[in-house]
Formats: sequence, structure tokens, C-alpha cells
Amino acid sequence: MHIMEGFLPVSHAVGWSLASLPFVGYGLHVIKKIMQEKPQQRMLLGVATAFTFVLSALKMPSVTGSCSHPTGTGLGAILFGPVAMAPIGLVVLLFQALLLAHGGLTTLGANVFSMGIVGPFAAYGIFRLASTLRLPFGLSVFLAAALADLLTYVTTSMQLAWAFPDPTGGFTASFLKFAGIFAITQIPLAISEGLLTVVVANTLKRFNYPELQEMKVFAGYEVRV
Amino acid sequence: MLIEQWAYTNRWRWVPPGAKALLTLSAFISAFVATHPWLLLALAFGLATLTIRGAGIPVRHYLRVFLPPLAFLVIAAATLGISIGGTNSPWPLTLRLAPNQLPEIVRICGRSLACLTALLFLAFTTPMTDLIALLRWLKMPPILLEIMTLGYRSVSVFLAAAQEITTAQKVRLGYATMRAARRSLGSMVAVLAVQVWQRAAALEKAAQSRANDGPLLFLDNEFAGNGRSFAVSAAGGFTLIVLALVL
Repeated sequence: MHIMEGFLPVSHAVGWSLASLPFVGYGLHVIKKIMQEKPQQRMLLGVATAFTFVLSALKMPSVTGSCSHPTGTGLGAILFGPVAMAPIGLVVLLFQALLLAHGGLTTLGANVFSMGIVGPFAAYGIFRLASTLRLPFGLSVFLAAALADLLTYVTTSMQLAWAFPDPTGGFTASFLKFAGIFAITQIPLAISEGLLTVVVANTLKRFNYPELQEMKVFAGYEVRV
Repeated sequence: MLIEQWAYTNRWRWVPPGAKALLTLSAFISAFVATHPWLLLALAFGLATLTIRGAGIPVRHYLRVFLPPLAFLVIAAATLGISIGGTNSPWPLTLRLAPNQLPEIVRICGRSLACLTALLFLAFTTPMTDLIALLRWLKMPPILLEIMTLGYRSVSVFLAAAQEITTAQKVRLGYATMRAARRSLGSMVAVLAVQVWQRAAALEKAAQSRANDGPLLFLDNEFAGNGRSFAVSAAGGFTLIVLALVL
């Protein structure tokens, strides 16, 4: 869920940009170190950015019967890691603003925080936790993708509630309003994206296991062909 | 992508991107400074007219890009117009209209529309390659610009691959039911995900075969009439900010 251009007050727009900056900066620092050790990773990150952007432009059948677009935060975090997803998320959101008019330049910081930082870190953490608890592979992927989606939307609702507190109920009432209204679209989207990510991960595991060995997140699972 | 198509073919394609970015920045500043809703709506209308008439973007194409973000605006504005609970309410969760919020909601909507039209002015008139060159001039981290450049150049490749796979799946009734659609989409995304590694390896080989062992080097476009464009843009932007401050 992108916050549209110009919707946030200037103090919040600047504040969320400053909050996202250390994560993006650290992500770039890590990427720079990786590139010094493995220069071939440079191309991988560029192509991964394009993949994440195209993923967000695909139409996905929703459980309500309508169509929506996947966010790709869960799958991106599982495939490329959450640290790399902060700068990748920044570039993808910039492309979405300038090529599709989704989101915006003044709300870029807030959108990066929810979709490029909270979502990927949540997905990665949930996937690792599910792996530690030895949950089935499909369930782990579903939980990671669906809960990352939900946490992204909860973060956006919190950002909106903080910017526009309810005159009588304050932050809590405003958060309940935004979370309640956007839940109508976001909960079915999260379930759909969770199911889609399971299909993707299962297909990758069945047919492309050698490629997946490059991704540490899938280590520990046995291949079943 | 409609925006990209017009960014390369509009009348102001060869106006320096810095001048267009300066006007966009001024429009953003004036949208945040202005308090009067009519001024914000006039700013939005003016910027949309400038993009449509000046850059030669067809109205129907402009509206196809302009209208979808308004869904968020309508829902969010409606949410702001409703208040939960109240001092006289016996119920903890009572929804009621908040008419005293109306002026603030109108101002937020006006600001969003003004900022959206400012964004569309830049997006419809300036190709991504020029914007990346502008960011390079502004000394953004080179590593971020490399990711942007490689990512932008790979987007069309992935979109074409996605389109071809979808067509092949559709002719085999891969999207006939919701279950089949999810399976088809999932397998397509999986194939595209694997292509990330394959295409990256191919690009790396191509770069190495051209003796590239460091950062990617670029030749930027040259734009005529830099001074005049910047002067017009600065004058326009200054006027917008002054009007926003005074009115």
C-alpha cells in the first residue's frame, strides 16, 4: 500500500526519509563490501531490482475474486536478503513513482520504511523463525510472505495515524480507522501473496535447486523432486 | 508503460532535466507552503495544463495515469472525515462524521493533487536515463546509480519475458480459473526469478569481455539552451513560491 504523492505533512515526509536513511546507507555499505569481494554481484543486484519492479507490476488473482498487485517484499527478502532489500526497495519505489505514478517522491521515505525495510526484515525474521521451529517449508514461506505484507500495511496505517491523529480518539482511534478501512483490500492481498509465494518457492525448489543453493535462506531444507 | 513512452517522445524531451526538476521542486515547495485550497487546486490545474498543452501529452493518456492514485486519496480522505467515539457516545466504537475536519481534508486533498501533477510533469517530460544523469550530477552514491541503471535497463527485458510467458500460458487456458491462474502466475514468477541469476551472469560475461573491471561509465546527453531553460524554470518556480506565501 503506497502513500500517495503529497499526502503526508512535510515534517512527516522528512522524518520518515531520515528514519529510512540509516537502513539504506547500511544496505549500500554491505552491497559495496560484497561487490569488492565478488564483483559479479553488481549485475545481480541491478537485475534483481528489475525483477522486483516487474513483480509489483503483475496482476495477481485475489482471494476476493478481484485483481491486485503483489508487493514482492516477502519473496525479495527471501531471495536476496533483507539488508539488500532496503536500497533495492528505494530504487523500485522510485521507479514506481516515476514510471507508474504509484507512491511519490515526497512520500518516498515513508514508503521505503514500510515496504523496503519493515516488510523485508519481517519476512526474513519470520522465515528464519519458522525454519528454526521446523515448520513445513510451504507454511514457512506462506507465513513469511503473508505476515510481511500485513506488517507493511500495519506500518503504513501507523504512519497515516501518526500524521493525522483523530481529533477525539488521537493516534489509537486514527490507527483503527485506517487499519480497518484498508484491511478490506490488504488482508485478501496478503493471503493471495502468501499463496503465490508458496507456489513460486515450491517451483524454484523443484526445478532450480542449484540456483537456490546460492541463497542461504533455503539452506537446511531437503530437495523433494 | 505509458509514462515512459511519452517521456521519450514529448515536446520537452530536450529541455534540460535540471530545469524541469527545478520547476517540479518549486511546485512541491509551493504546494506545502500554500494554505488556501483554491490556490492548491489552481496549482494542480496549472501544472496539468502545462504538461498536457506544453509537452503535448494527450488528455486521455494523462488521465489514465492521473486517476488511479486518486483511489487512495478518496479512501484516505473519507477515513479522515470519520471520527471514532465521542464524549457523548455510550459506545466505545461509534463512527460519526467530523465536519470540523473538512477544511483540513480539503487542504490535504488539494496538496496531494498539486504534488501529483508536479510529479507527473517531471515523469511525463523526462526519461529515466536523464533523471539518472541528473542524480549523478547531484553526486548521489555511484553504487545506487549503478543499481538504478542496470535495473532500469533490465525492466523492459523482464516485462517482455513476462508478457511472452503469460501469452503462452493463456493459450493453454492457464488463467481459466483462479486456482490455475495462481499456479500459472507462480510458475512464471519462479522462471523469472531464475532468470535473475542467468541474466546477471550473462551481463557480467558481456562486461568482462569488454574489459570492464570497475564502475560503469556513461556518456550523458547534451541539452541546448541550458541557461534560458533554467532562467524560465527559476522564474516560474519563484513565482509559484511567492504566490503560495502571499496568498
